[in-house]
Amino acid sequence: MASPCEVLIEDAPEALARQIAETAAACAWRIERKFSRYRSDGVVHMINSNAGRPVVLDEESAALIDFAATLTTMSEGGFDITSGVLRKAWTFDGGSAVPTQAQIDEVMTCVGWRHVQWRRPVLRLKPGMQIDLGGIGKEYAVDLAAARVEDIAPGVSCLINFGGDVVARHPRRDGQPWRVGIEAAAKAGTAVRIVHLTRGGLATSGDSRRFVLHQGRRYSHIIDARIGWPVRDAPHSITVAADTCTQAGTLTTLAMLKGMECESFLRASGAKYWIQACPASPQ
Amino acid sequence: MNDDNNLSATLAAATCALLGASAAGPVMAGETDRWSFDTALLYYAESDDRVQDVSATIGAQRAFEDDRLLNLTLTADTLTGASASGAIASDLPQTFTSPSGRAVYSTPAGETPLDDTFLDTRFALNASWTQPLARLYTVSAGLGFSTEYDYTHLGANVSLARDFNKRNTTVSAGLAYSQDDIDPVGGAPVPLSQMLDVGDGSNKLSSDSKDVLDVLLGLTQVLSRNTVLRVNYSYSQSSGYLNDPYKILSVVDGTTGDTILRTPAPGVAGPTGIYLYESRPDSRAKHSLYAEVKHAFGAPVLYGSYRFMTDDWGIDSHTGEVRLRWPVGDASYVEPQLRYYMQSQADFYHPSLVQGAALPAYASADFRLGEFDAVTVGLKFGHRTSGGNEWNARLEYYQQNGSISRDQLIGNQFAREQYPDLKAVIAQFGYRFGL
Repeated sequence: MASPCEVLIEDAPEALARQIAETAAACAWRIERKFSRYRSDGVVHMINSNAGRPVVLDEESAALIDFAATLTTMSEGGFDITSGVLRKAWTFDGGSAVPTQAQIDEVMTCVGWRHVQWRRPVLRLKPGMQIDLGGIGKEYAVDLAAARVEDIAPGVSCLINFGGDVVARHPRRDGQPWRVGIEAAAKAGTAVRIVHLTRGGLATSGDSRRFVLHQGRRYSHIIDARIGWPVRDAPHSITVAADTCTQAGTLTTLAMLKGMECESFLRASGAKYWIQACPASPQ
Repeated sequence: MNDDNNLSATLAAATCALLGASAAGPVMAGETDRWSFDTALLYYAESDDRVQDVSATIGAQRAFEDDRLLNLTLTADTLTGASASGAIASDLPQTFTSPSGRAVYSTPAGETPLDDTFLDTRFALNASWTQPLARLYTVSAGLGFSTEYDYTHLGANVSLARDFNKRNTTVSAGLAYSQDDIDPVGGAPVPLSQMLDVGDGSNKLSSDSKDVLDVLLGLTQVLSRNTVLRVNYSYSQSSGYLNDPYKILSVVDGTTGDTILRTPAPGVAGPTGIYLYESRPDSRAKHSLYAEVKHAFGAPVLYGSYRFMTDDWGIDSHTGEVRLRWPVGDASYVEPQLRYYMQSQADFYHPSLVQGAALPAYASADFRLGEFDAVTVGLKFGHRTSGGNEWNARLEYYQQNGSISRDQLIGNQFAREQYPDLKAVIAQFGYRFGL
């Protein structure tokens, strides 16, 4: 998943601890193999390389596609698993290179969930379209890993972290919450805040190094699929705590899409959230 | 708002469809308290109406991003009661000039003389800052200030710790320096000068000072999943005025061991015996070695520690302590505690001085420099509230037994209690909370 994954286990016999770690790792590897767009043996690759033709999906893949479709509805089209191709046009390296509107328009002909035929379990993309489940796969994987671990070691206190997507199902043995640091946007490896997590999922969406500066404004790496442009004036990072990491991750993405209005969105959602604001953009 | 509720419900339903019923329950998360407070109220009382101390402490800790920590501690305490002056008991009532030099106090026949003019209020403020310096390094620096009627303390310290061995080993080194100013009530007496009549301050100097340098080396080692060992060595060098300005020695007859009597000048109150103010060396070097093992037997945790201290005044001391923290239910614990302490006497410890014999350079009859051992038994109970705060209560009983070697006693002194036992109770209530 191109990011460090870890499992913190508290006070379990070595054999059980090993089993827990192996279960979580197996879950991570399996999801990665199945849903990474970089893997030629996975479902996403199969779908993308068959664009234009109907593809029959297994239960799990179909459930993920359903979930993605719901997110697209909830974000009124801002979130879209077909928008990954826009990365061909945009490079988020902290510089100021911006594609021309003509380039964006061209790519946008291949973006839009409305162009996809989805009648579970049959999916059919328009030729030239691609999907990317990167926006939801990691959160899904960590929730799944936590559930599997609970199956084999019920009640054992552990914290599962897949590249910043975190789940805990039980407090620490002494009843205290887990302490999870939110990395400072400006300085990797340092915590800007400590969140106490007793139970639930924690996800962060951030752009510490992935953004574009254009005409004095900062564009985050989150692309609004309706217009093909990145979201303007979004905060450095949004962290949300929710019942599951999948919900938390979804809320961070939806909030990011709101740009400057992210906080009022989060407040209204009732979720617990932490925002690292950007220094005010020069107008 | 309705839309947003719908949004949360839609999301929850979609997640449930994706994951099945796999959530453990509603989320429980929150931000770390920015400030945490540790407050304690302590009551210490010695038997026979000797010293009583009531002390209140507020510790405040503020955690900043990046593992940086500010610690502030404010303490106020009030001491009242009487403490042993160093003079020996006598078959006759004894009268002494009080430290102020303006009054006298008396001790009935057969009793150990106590100076009951003892009353003090102390305020102390300590501040320290801890932060990571680089990966594996932590630096800490602090300042301390305390003031009481006759004493002012100013101190500074700095320490550096480094982790090794996947953070299973921590080595630390620290340095502390303090400067204390002593301005005793009625002035600091000239060592070994005689206690004079009321109003005669010719043997009192105004004030004095001392400084203390401490060097600390520490090692913390994780021995196993359940066991942590800590070893500290410290060296402490004090110099300057190290006397207790209120302590005296009785001058006695070389055969009977009785205090030599004197008569105050006509019309003036004053001591009825010959008493000399104590004299301690003006430097003291202490070495101490401390080892502590913490072992978790599942949930119960056992603490064992031992300290050895030796100094160039001839005092060696040993302290052993065992505590066992035993969980009771999910949120409470009890912690029985047992401590044993023993020390040898200082080279210049003299219960009394013989009239006519050559005066030693240094002499003190302060019981705290004598030979004694002490046992403390205690029990602590702690409870964590549902809000994550903790209160605890501790009750301790302390008993000290002093002894004076027979070759330091003379004549009638054998028949009298020369080193009375000391008993004390300590009660403490603490509450820890965050904001």
